[in-house]
Amino acid sequence: MAVLPDLSVDIGGLRIKNPVIAASGTFGYGDELTPFYDPSLLGAIIVKGLSLRPMPGNPPPRTAETPCGLLNAIGLANIGIEAFIEEKLPSLAKIKTPLIANIYGHTIREYAQMAKRTATVDRIAAVEINISCPNVEAGGMAFGTDPDTAAMVTDQVVKNTTKPVIVKLTPNVTDITTIAGAVESAGAQAISVTNTFLGMAVDVATRRPKLANIIGGLSGPAIKPMALYLVHKVVEAVQIPVIGLGGIMDYQDALEFLLVGARAIQVGTANLINPKTPIEIINGLTDFCVREEIGNINQIIGDLRTKGEGHEKKGNRKDT
Amino acid sequence: MLEEVVSIEFNREIGKDTFLMGFRSPLLASCANPGQFLMIHSGRETRDPLLRRPFSIHGIQDKNTLMILYKIVGKGTSLLSALKEGDAISLIGPLGNGFTFPRPTERTLLVAGGMGIAPLFFLAQALKKAHKHEITMFLGFPTSQEVVMTDQLKDLNVDLSLTTEDGSLGMKGLVSDLLDQHLSQELTKKPVIYACGPTPMLKKIAQKAITCNLTCYVCLEVYMACGLGICQGCAVKAANSKGKSYHSVCQDGPVFSAETIDWEVM
Repeated sequence: MAVLPDLSVDIGGLRIKNPVIAASGTFGYGDELTPFYDPSLLGAIIVKGLSLRPMPGNPPPRTAETPCGLLNAIGLANIGIEAFIEEKLPSLAKIKTPLIANIYGHTIREYAQMAKRTATVDRIAAVEINISCPNVEAGGMAFGTDPDTAAMVTDQVVKNTTKPVIVKLTPNVTDITTIAGAVESAGAQAISVTNTFLGMAVDVATRRPKLANIIGGLSGPAIKPMALYLVHKVVEAVQIPVIGLGGIMDYQDALEFLLVGARAIQVGTANLINPKTPIEIINGLTDFCVREEIGNINQIIGDLRTKGEGHEKKGNRKDT
Repeated sequence: MLEEVVSIEFNREIGKDTFLMGFRSPLLASCANPGQFLMIHSGRETRDPLLRRPFSIHGIQDKNTLMILYKIVGKGTSLLSALKEGDAISLIGPLGNGFTFPRPTERTLLVAGGMGIAPLFFLAQALKKAHKHEITMFLGFPTSQEVVMTDQLKDLNVDLSLTTEDGSLGMKGLVSDLLDQHLSQELTKKPVIYACGPTPMLKKIAQKAITCNLTCYVCLEVYMACGLGICQGCAVKAANSKGKSYHSVCQDGPVFSAETIDWEVM
């Protein structure tokens, strides 16, 4: 039997055993999908976006399906950071993988408070700053579309925690690299690219928008080429690790993101359809490395070949 | 809760655009309760439709076969209807909370609109099996061509009344009219109502039941993205409950006590 490849990667000081992370908002508070597999197998888990106080979320309908895509306007419905720490965290003790808190604030001050609160919780390994939710009125994406405010939020979070800080960016900007550069300068240790793309859908029979919020965020395979492009751009623009996400459904999708330079990937919408997707991706990556005689996953990361020999040789190391 | 790839035993059109599908799953059949549902994908590899679709469990046949009843309403159900015996489908279930059973002495009234018959047939089946309950059922369909499952319900010895919107079979009108008529009579014994169907119908029935101070359970059918309680997509407004603004239909339901829903915004 071949020696198993080393899939571990480092994201801004956080060492994870494989590059497959459950994305915020598609994995509940951490143990909801336990009936399907042991979440300890994942590289890391990013829990549902948390705010200082509970948020009820938007009126229904909150989701609408489009070809190969899912529009959502959940509105960050969550139980709040205190309830998460008191009620949910204890039962997550048995999950042996880093938990990353996705934090959201209505104001920069709230982001700082969230950073301070999560800093004292040992079980939380890192924070992912959500400055990219398109479905809330205050904060959210508003902070992620301007380089200066994005940097201010990042700065406040970094100053109030000792944990690695990941910033999750929105694609709904003219130039994502300026935002990426700004949060890197402000001290972010890693960047997640990308959150959902703004979109909408209309029911022609009723002439009503399919989402009560009118607009929402598009995820799923429909956005994968665009997300991949943005990861490519950000990887070229910054030095810190980039975590790629957007429509990843299988290990080949994951490989595409790793090849353009993502240090790790997140699985989001696919969890809703086939809860075992992240495990299938981990297994797929393992088998791929064995097949291609790759001992360490880092050999693949950023190994996009754009010069020289013809395209047919890409990704087929045995022939080179 | 489990994920299973099962083989279709039958998938036949039993009414206009209405299909009865059966698949073998001894495990699910042994633990499924009336009111619970399944998330089904017609083909694991496809990207469009992307999401699974929720289906109420319609009944159990020969101990090991689970059934769903569905009408073609879009791409997902259209693809499902094209599947043949022996084809595989992927399902997750059983999901959600089922119906609270009535006490054996209580009068049981089932009210179904269209495909709302799906979970209520299973309930009738289970109640008859458990306690030989006396069951009255009001059934409403748009037209006679869409009327299904009446023979099977009669076989279960359910006291059946039928409405069609165009009057082509049974009483002309809506199934909620039948309920109104029934409740306007002098009732010696208050019924426990179980209802499933389109939202406007459920709204009428729930509000009527609340006014008449009757116990009423509704089984909600809404769009769901995951069905697993993780996306928070299938929210319905909660009635004046403490602190909680929305129920999650897949997790807190799909069966709700009528008074726990804010029907004004439904």
